[in-house]
Amino acid sequence: MPRWIPDTSEDEAELLKAAGFASFEELFADIPRRVRMGKLGVGEAKEELDVVQAIDKILDRNKPYSKFSTFLGGRMPVRYIPAAVDAILSRSEFYTSYTPYQPEASQGMLQSLFEFQSLVVELTGMDVANASLYDGATAAGEALLLCRRLHEGHRFLIPASLPWEEKSVLANYAIGHPIRIEEIPFDDRTGRMDLGTVRAAVASGDVFGALADVPNGFGHVDEGVLDLKGILGEIPLAVSADPLALSVLRPPGDWGADVVVGEGQGFGQPPSFGGPLLGLFACRREHVRYAPGRIVGGTKDAEGRRAFTLTLQTREQHIRRSRATSNICTNQSLLALAFVVYASSVGPKGLAELQGRLAEKARTLASALGGIEGLAAPRFDAPYLSEFTVGLSSGSAVDFLRRLRARKVLGGHPLADPRPAHGGRMEGWFLTAATEMTTDKDIQKFAKAARGAVVHHPGGP
Amino acid sequence: MTFRQARYDEPLLWDIRRTSPEGNPPAVAIPGIPERFRRQRLIAWPELSELELIRHFTRLSQMNFGINTSSYPLGSCTMKYNPAVSEQLARRRGAAEVHPYQPEETVQGSLEVIWRLERGLQRVTGLPEVSLQAAAGAHGEYSALLMIRAYFRDRGELDRRTEVLLPDTAHGTNPASAAMAGFTAREIPSKEGCVDVAALRAAVSDRTAAFMLTNPNTTGLFESEIDEIAKAIHGAGGLLYYDGANLNAILAVTNPGRMGFDVAHLNLHKTFATPHGGGGPGAGVLAAGERLAPYLPVPRVVKVGRKFRLDYDRPKSIGKIKTAYGNFGLDLRAYAYLLYHGEEGLKHISRRAVLNSNYLARALSQTLPRPFRSLVKHEFLLSGAPLKARGARTLDLAKRLLDEGIHAPTIYFPALVDEALMIEMPETESRHDLDRFVEAFQRAATDTTQNLHAAPRHTSVRRVDEVLAARELRLSWRDLREPPTAPTSPPRPPGSPALPEGPVGSPAPSSGSPR
Repeated sequence: MPRWIPDTSEDEAELLKAAGFASFEELFADIPRRVRMGKLGVGEAKEELDVVQAIDKILDRNKPYSKFSTFLGGRMPVRYIPAAVDAILSRSEFYTSYTPYQPEASQGMLQSLFEFQSLVVELTGMDVANASLYDGATAAGEALLLCRRLHEGHRFLIPASLPWEEKSVLANYAIGHPIRIEEIPFDDRTGRMDLGTVRAAVASGDVFGALADVPNGFGHVDEGVLDLKGILGEIPLAVSADPLALSVLRPPGDWGADVVVGEGQGFGQPPSFGGPLLGLFACRREHVRYAPGRIVGGTKDAEGRRAFTLTLQTREQHIRRSRATSNICTNQSLLALAFVVYASSVGPKGLAELQGRLAEKARTLASALGGIEGLAAPRFDAPYLSEFTVGLSSGSAVDFLRRLRARKVLGGHPLADPRPAHGGRMEGWFLTAATEMTTDKDIQKFAKAARGAVVHHPGGP
Repeated sequence: MTFRQARYDEPLLWDIRRTSPEGNPPAVAIPGIPERFRRQRLIAWPELSELELIRHFTRLSQMNFGINTSSYPLGSCTMKYNPAVSEQLARRRGAAEVHPYQPEETVQGSLEVIWRLERGLQRVTGLPEVSLQAAAGAHGEYSALLMIRAYFRDRGELDRRTEVLLPDTAHGTNPASAAMAGFTAREIPSKEGCVDVAALRAAVSDRTAAFMLTNPNTTGLFESEIDEIAKAIHGAGGLLYYDGANLNAILAVTNPGRMGFDVAHLNLHKTFATPHGGGGPGAGVLAAGERLAPYLPVPRVVKVGRKFRLDYDRPKSIGKIKTAYGNFGLDLRAYAYLLYHGEEGLKHISRRAVLNSNYLARALSQTLPRPFRSLVKHEFLLSGAPLKARGARTLDLAKRLLDEGIHAPTIYFPALVDEALMIEMPETESRHDLDRFVEAFQRAATDTTQNLHAAPRHTSVRRVDEVLAARELRLSWRDLREPPTAPTSPPRPPGSPALPEGPVGSPAPSSGSPR
């Protein structure tokens, strides 16, 4: 028997007897024969060593990005994680606990989550933050639902440049309500959201909210978002923002955002093939009772000492049931802890300097790729931080990136929706990112590989 | 054993060295970023040495119960041991340093882990197709309801099928997910702790989209009339949804497929021992029968020849429910767990979990009354109602248990039992742990009312004032320095749900619910 199940069979026999049963079978007397199952067919038990060897053998079939010159990014950046982060995350008092329903026994996690909320408040310029959601995309979905609670209407505006995955998740969060999600087109030269379309939509009425992202889905910083709240007026503005970008950019709370969400994985968590991730969610104080998810508040104990507890739980599913603000229960608390340890480890100055270094590398990358025939790098004429979009004059980005891969370069990720018949005009575009590990040599390698990978159609555009 | 939890007056990060929120230096200017988009000052966050940081969080960790420090009998949460080896495996470079947007040929190992775990879970659930994209149980529920919507939309029945039925013992996430997905959640009363099948038959109609059921349910009882339930739902053209929160009780004994369910979610952080992480991350599993399988989220992981691929060509799919493919780090741990246990091990998990529960139920039934029939599955209920006669409540008993160095059970859930305590001690708790729990519970339940009210005494803080927390909202470090003056409850905007504007009146329902 696996040693994770304790005691001898004699102990178990005595437990059975004390519980009033003659056999294990009697414990399942209430399960009708008709629904019993036969053999599972999952194989024999293995020893720990065998499990480790079996899994290592499978994982050996992966080629970690660290073996390539890597320019992958998007909402899931590749970053160096200071060792202090894992030293804290490995504390099993944290990782083997659950939602702190009993505050007296869980002050450690509660204070950590309170510090996380505080950090998100500082980054976003909002008044309050929750203790995390699943990821940036689902947080945007919850932001849409919050906007709908705050304002009448059926139309929600999003940038057409938003990553396809987020569009799909948003559609799935809206589906239970009479909501129409409308894409605001972008300018072909700058990639910026067309504010004229936003103005027209607002003027024609029935808009209950709008979403902007910083940087946008093309990796660029769209200055126009600063003017959105002026156009929207009373209509709530939701902003999806990258936390590292917020170390150098004006916080959305300063330019009228009513709710700010984001993907927080880049602060302390490896990409780990896309999960777990971390959804950030912050809003204005006056809207907190309509917000989703766990929220930690400060209070006192019976002796008047400072203490923390989950609060405003009457919003939540376990009390409010079908009228809860969200169905979320399990969230991403451990990643919230990683987020706060990462940010503290790097420090406020360190974060801003890191963003500065990445921006410099991205500019070097752009100039290295910029001169290559058949590539537009960056595709858009707009400022950027760590990443930007590259456009191919012909051929698909998927094929181009595969050719780069053969030259040991992971050049980025395609922007087009991979579902058949969904691709559209982004077929030849991909997002490329500078990382902390990017060296000048990597950039030269990328440029060389790109020259070889561009398809030239003599008669083509 | 005398229990004393660490008690540090650990300052907030900002107060380790007194930080002035306004005194932070100018921010870094990035060339090309317009002046009006630049942050003027660095974020108000302290610059600390690594030792200051490590000491801070190490102290905080010492003020936290976890499975690794204490028995954690939180009902419906399956707080079982999280194997150390899994933590090591998830940190392997080949697992962690893999980006979801790498080309398929470079991530064959990750895809294989997903594919193999999905195959294993198909056998565990008895349902032919599995997706690991959901981030948690409630997320899986929501996704399954989206699939059910899409299914009825394709059949032209969505306008009519607007109701989701669920028992009054259902987890709160069930009605919340149903409402989010645009259905009307309708509760079916229970009879002796199980679904009242006559009431269910009366409620089922051509408006029924689905019935959501946890089996065994949250009273710890197996719904033995599952055949009749399935017939009633399917007979009306509805679908049967399995909430897998309590799968630990029936692993390798029965499965959702055998019981007639059309779709199920599982929680890998419960049955498959991935750590609960202080509230998350978890990992949801979606398992679907043939009717709903085409609607699973994209991409699906498929095997073509000897290669694994991401398949996006599923025209009926609901699309994406989150970024990337699920919580891979947890999938890997669950796969290791499956390999380790194998056929016999998995069978033994449910046997031992159910044995632990029945042993405790019998031992504690002398201390407090047990509602409903005596044979339970992996968890059971007690009622703290007799305490009321002497001016105490279940909440006080829960707090008193903390002083024994044991986490409290789930309390005040399900609502159909007065002053409920829901107790689950999974298979990894030893005979010695069970006996220690029984003794501690008896000591706590027979302690004086005064002592119950004064509990806990030995945790890092004494009884926490939850009412004050809700009345005077202090939600960030700035609020603690300077209590907020802004109103927190504006007039309710049109169309928004009616939410209580004042403080929570009673602390009673606030302390624990599963998932």
